Amino acid sequence: MGHHYTLRFELGGMVFDIATILMMVLTALLVFIFLFVMTRKLETGVPGAKQNAVEWIFDFVKNVTSGYMDHKKVMMMMTLGITLFLYIFIGNQLGVIANVTTVHKGEISESVMKMLTIAPTPEAEAKKRATVEHELGDKGAHVIWWKSPTATPSVTFGLALVVLLYSHYLGIKKSPGGWFKHVFLNPIHILEEFIIKPLTLPLRLFGNLFAKEIMIAFLLSGGILAAAPLFIWLGYSVFVGAIQAFIFLTLSMVYISQLVNDEH
Amino acid sequence: MVEFGAVSLEWGTLLLQVIIFVLLLIVVSKYATGPIASVLEKRRAHVENELATAERNHKESEKLLAEQRRLLDEARAESKAIIDRAAKQASDEASKIVAEAQAASERMKADASAELAREVEKAKLELREQMTGLSVLLASKIIEKELDEAAQKSTVDKFLAQVGDRL
Repeated sequence: MGHHYTLRFELGGMVFDIATILMMVLTALLVFIFLFVMTRKLETGVPGAKQNAVEWIFDFVKNVTSGYMDHKKVMMMMTLGITLFLYIFIGNQLGVIANVTTVHKGEISESVMKMLTIAPTPEAEAKKRATVEHELGDKGAHVIWWKSPTATPSVTFGLALVVLLYSHYLGIKKSPGGWFKHVFLNPIHILEEFIIKPLTLPLRLFGNLFAKEIMIAFLLSGGILAAAPLFIWLGYSVFVGAIQAFIFLTLSMVYISQLVNDEH
Repeated sequence: MVEFGAVSLEWGTLLLQVIIFVLLLIVVSKYATGPIASVLEKRRAHVENELATAERNHKESEKLLAEQRRLLDEARAESKAIIDRAAKQASDEASKIVAEAQAASERMKADASAELAREVEKAKLELREQMTGLSVLLASKIIEKELDEAAQKSTVDKFLAQVGDRL
């Protein structure tokens, strides 16, 4: 199994990953289209099949959240909870249902080479360039176009950042003094709020999904021999994708509840 | 950008993810969860309302039932009173009729006995008149035959005594 690359570009001192961004946008669109289609013609009376499904999701997220907050706060969290759960769930499953990789050999343009080898330091970039040039002349350089967006740390850190910033916003809004006391007056809490939560929440999701993608890529390169393990692994990936979405949702709600609930 | 081998964290991608996710939250809230929440809330209110109405109707029907029961009891008592009154009236009427009949028969009896007494009196009177006539006749006949007053006196006395006994 060779290296897998994605096309990236730099803008305003920041690096953007094209494949991940495409998958991000696709996932967001799927979540929105799904919810939009499911919530047309809602009935106050007896719901139809579509509405039953969407109400099931609503109730599922509500039940998860209800374990940590009172009813009023739960209803405030519904948009975040449903969007978070569906975004991560659909994002996780997208990497299972398809795999789009292009293999490039021979000459490539300098701009594409730059997009493939972009790295934090010039040395790292030079090293990467040498590898790509070698692969171009050998088996070919593999460029990924389709993957789970959640298998990228940028995405999982982004999601965790939204959740954690929102939790702190709610905490400060509720009581600035209480928030300050809770977060800063206990060394364990400082460690928890600024290191443990921001690292464990995104890395758990990323780690699981990254391992899933690596295993799928590895088994795909194994040819016919790896067909049976691949199918087992794909089935397991669907399960992991659902479980990780549930865990991310649950932990997000726990973290938010820690900052918005009254002190005991 | 932070890179560890094949894993890299790009600030641009992260920032874009934050923006896309926040935008997604906004449209989902506007077009999906908002409507769901309002429908669920409406349904909850509807069910609550229906329950309250059912409760109210139940109370209402209980009240009506009690009212009906009361009216029925009243009607029953009233009909009983009417029947009692009618029965009493009938028996009063009957005893009145009997009393009247008794009074009438008493009166008739009294009338009849008075009439009888009157008739007897009349007959006695007539008889006495006739007796007087007959006595006179007899006396004149005796006088004609023998004017022996002394001899006939005992016979007349005897006769008169006999008549007096008979009367």
